[in-house]
Amino acid sequence: MVKEIERAGIPVVHICTITPISLTVGANRIVPAVAIPYPLGDPALSKDEEKQQRRKIVKTALKALSTEVSDQTVFDVE
Amino acid sequence: MKLELGYIPITNIEFAERSYVEGSTLYVSKEELSDVLLQDENISSVSFAIALPGDKTRITPVKDVIEPRVKVEGKGGMFPGVLSKVDIVGSGRTHVLKGAAVVTTGKIVGFQEGIIDMSGPGAEYTPFSKTCNLVLVITPKEGVVQHEHEHTVRMAGLRAAAYLGELARELEPETIETYEFLPLLESIERYPDLPRVGYVKMLQSQGLLHDTYVYGVDAKRTLPTLISPTEVMDGAIISGNCVSACDKNPTYVHQNNPIVHDLFKRHGKDLNFCAMIITNENVYLADKIRSSDRTAEICGYLKLDGVIISEEGFGNPDTDLMMNCRKISDKGIKTVVITDEYAGRDGSSQSLADADPSCDALVTGGNANEVITLPKMDKVIGTEAYVGIIAGGWDKNKAEDGTIQVELQAITGATSEVGFGYLSAR
Repeated sequence: MVKEIERAGIPVVHICTITPISLTVGANRIVPAVAIPYPLGDPALSKDEEKQQRRKIVKTALKALSTEVSDQTVFDVE
Repeated sequence: MKLELGYIPITNIEFAERSYVEGSTLYVSKEELSDVLLQDENISSVSFAIALPGDKTRITPVKDVIEPRVKVEGKGGMFPGVLSKVDIVGSGRTHVLKGAAVVTTGKIVGFQEGIIDMSGPGAEYTPFSKTCNLVLVITPKEGVVQHEHEHTVRMAGLRAAAYLGELARELEPETIETYEFLPLLESIERYPDLPRVGYVKMLQSQGLLHDTYVYGVDAKRTLPTLISPTEVMDGAIISGNCVSACDKNPTYVHQNNPIVHDLFKRHGKDLNFCAMIITNENVYLADKIRSSDRTAEICGYLKLDGVIISEEGFGNPDTDLMMNCRKISDKGIKTVVITDEYAGRDGSSQSLADADPSCDALVTGGNANEVITLPKMDKVIGTEAYVGIIAGGWDKNKAEDGTIQVELQAITGATSEVGFGYLSAR
């Protein structure tokens, strides 16, 4: 899906846990997620902390979308 | 470590007033075994059935398969850290009711449970069509939640296997096989010219009913470590898995790992089988990196010449597999991986979720997406109510005439990633 949407001219950021698979299949902008069963959440955190964490991941994804890349790039969440 | 496995062949199971073995028949008292199993207060009821090779019988949904064994000499007891006290097993003598198996079924725990057909086309794909199976149909009490239910059926299977294994304690085995796993330096001294070969066994540990236990410890909370293959023969590793039926390792397969047995056969002849390493398959990327790093470090530290890596399950563990392969290869060690494939029903899709150029030698257990038609059976142990929702099934896959279509994924052991099966391309 990432590649097909990009083929249509729209930049895509792939948020995923197992970034090596994303690299293998050819995504250009990749943001690491939390874990496979809960990519954007974390049951170990409180609801407030979870929201903060989700916000960080989404902000990193938006930053990645607006960043020019010349090669496959993993944008680490701060 | 030196372990003798004494085999008592079993070719038949019958119900009787008391439990014992005579000739090659295993007689089972339902009353005695019920008493053992109903210790677990989460069980509402348990019933028993016998499924023999050639019967027109289907068992589903299958959770685990376990071989009855008993420790008769040496430290520890069967399933250490789980049923017996924690103690190092793998030495002395163990008796095996060879040909018998305990199979657990009943209300579904997770959606990834399997089918065992005792005859017909499905029987070709599951190795457990060739064992004499005592099947436990377990009904949990109302209100028992999913993870407790999984624990309950897992323990019931182990308790039943240990109970039956105990019947072999005083018996004279028909054959005895000896497995000796030497300390590393001794092994190298004895076979200085043979290539040092290790086995990296990956254990399913994704959580959420996808777990494996080592001496009672949840494998996802472990770092890779060395283990003697004889410890595993004595039940040090057990399955707590509701992963796709075709490529998970039931406890029986841990007890009888063909990779280990084949390496022992060639040990001292054309190779030196001097290391077995167990590692996990977790759901955090950091865990995958940490575990594959440690596995490769151990292989490098031992200066192995070649390593066989077996995967358990599929999908994201393909990444653990590739990381292990690449990092071990980077140490200058030759690698072969054993996996299976999810290549689509026509076999034309990408087989694995991940790939790496270092992975240039691979053995496959087959394509789990291949579709098979299973005929109607005279007898169903458990229930066919779930054949449409287990992994490998789909809505309305049961026809009016009673035939069922499934992907091989739904058949217990069909694409075993340790080669525990009878089908091959040769």
